[in-house]
Order: sequence, then structure tokens, then C-alpha cells
Amino acid sequence: MSCGIQCHTLNTMSNPQHIDFNPLAGLVAVLFPGAGHLVLRRPKRAIFASAGVLGLFFFGLLIGGIDTIDSKDDRIWFYAQALVGPPTIIADQIHQKQFKAYDIGTGKLRTGFPEEKRDHDGTRPIWVPLTDVEIAAGMGPPNIPGLGRINEIAMLSVVLAGMLNLIVFLDALMPGPDATTSKQTNKPSTGGAE
Amino acid sequence: MTLAYTPFIDAMSVHDYWYLLIVPMAFFLAVGYKAVRCPDMKKYPQSVLSFTVQILGLMLLLAIAFTIVIGYVLPMLAPMPV
Repeated sequence: MSCGIQCHTLNTMSNPQHIDFNPLAGLVAVLFPGAGHLVLRRPKRAIFASAGVLGLFFFGLLIGGIDTIDSKDDRIWFYAQALVGPPTIIADQIHQKQFKAYDIGTGKLRTGFPEEKRDHDGTRPIWVPLTDVEIAAGMGPPNIPGLGRINEIAMLSVVLAGMLNLIVFLDALMPGPDATTSKQTNKPSTGGAE
Repeated sequence: MTLAYTPFIDAMSVHDYWYLLIVPMAFFLAVGYKAVRCPDMKKYPQSVLSFTVQILGLMLLLAIAFTIVIGYVLPMLAPMPV
């Protein structure tokens, strides 16, 4: 008490905040958002981190559709979206293989236009123009891509999910001291699993 | 394949309400961020709510600032010829 602020400063300097390095938690965090915190025995944080990342991810898909994730046409966005991990890779694979087809004229893989249908020529999926009868029947490509702001906001939502997952991953890889753990050390009766 | 709306496959038609989409985005961001940055999980709900309001408030201020700059300041600095 007599030395006051000086003692507090010295105490803080002699006990810097301890940060661990947990490669296993980091590896598991890469495989699924929030899973790294389960390895760290912080289940509450794991559930909420996962809910945040996957909430942003699925919200983006909900408003923008499967076209939100496109490693071919939106490559730069995809790099940030890929930080979510396997969910982005799986969604992109489904998009490329189940919803895109080749343009007969250019030979390029692309999303369908409103008056086209996806067909197969025996070797690869192709876009075929719809007949008037098929258009009148309400036929079209397998997905309707988002346009303008909706597409931008949907892609941004999945990008935010990726960047948030990067923070979650780093926290799992290099976890700081847990408030509850330190409280439990001082007062065994308080706190719970975080 | 018919053109009926399929969730998670087709884009939603919410072009008239695009500005409201920031609310769930800010909320999910706060849920995930505070899960790893909230020191005490007992205060987690309050910190999520507080962070969500902070994001929305700052975005609103940015929107107001950009509206003033683009709608009033720029026309004064560089008026368009009539």
C-alpha cells in the first residue's frame, strides 16, 4: 500500500499477460469454425464463435444464393471467403459442378441466363436456349444469381464470416488467459466452463 | 428446372430493403467477435448488444456524413454547370 502506483506498475511488468501456443487447437479451428475452442475446453466460446461465423456465412447464402461463392468469377472475394474453411470450399464445389455449365460459343464455364436451361452433351454440362413453350412453362437455369447491391451485400457477409473466422482461429492458436480460469485459481467456488 | 425460389440457391428479392440487411450482419459479427474477445462470459449478452448498437450507430453516422459531403459540400465546392 505504501508504494501505491509504483508497486502496481512493477507487478504488472513482472507478470506480463501470458499467451500460449496451441497448434492442435489451431489445426482443429481450421477444419471447422469454433472447433478450436472446444480443444481449449471453452465450449461456450466455441458455440458462440461458431454461431457468429456460420450465421454470417449462411445469411450471405440466404440473401445471395449459391452464386455468392464463386471461385472462378469472383476470385478476389473468394480468397477472403475461403477463410471460413471447408463450408466455403464445399459450397463453391457444389456451385461450380451442379449449377454452372459451358457456353457452347465461348467454351467457358458460366452461370446460366434467364432463357437457358442446363443440359448435358455427353461429355460436359452445357447451356441450351429454352423454347417459347418452356419459357411459358416457367423453366430456366437451376439458380437465380443475385444482382447489384444484394449480390454485394451477400458476398460481403461471407467475407466478414471469413475475416471473423481468422480472428477465432488466431484466438484458438494463441489463446490468452481465460478470465474464468484465473478467477477459479483465486476463488474455486466461482465461474464455470467458458 | 422451373424458376421457383429456392432458399440458399436463389438470391432473395429484397432490393427495396437492402439497408436493413446490415442489422443481422452486425448482430452475427458481434456474436462471433465477443465470443473470443469478451473477458467475462457472464457479461456476454450485454457486450453483444452493446457492440451491435455501436456498429449500427457508427454506420448511421457514416451514412449521415457521406450524405452531407456528397449532397451539400461537394455541390458547393464544385457546382455543376446549369
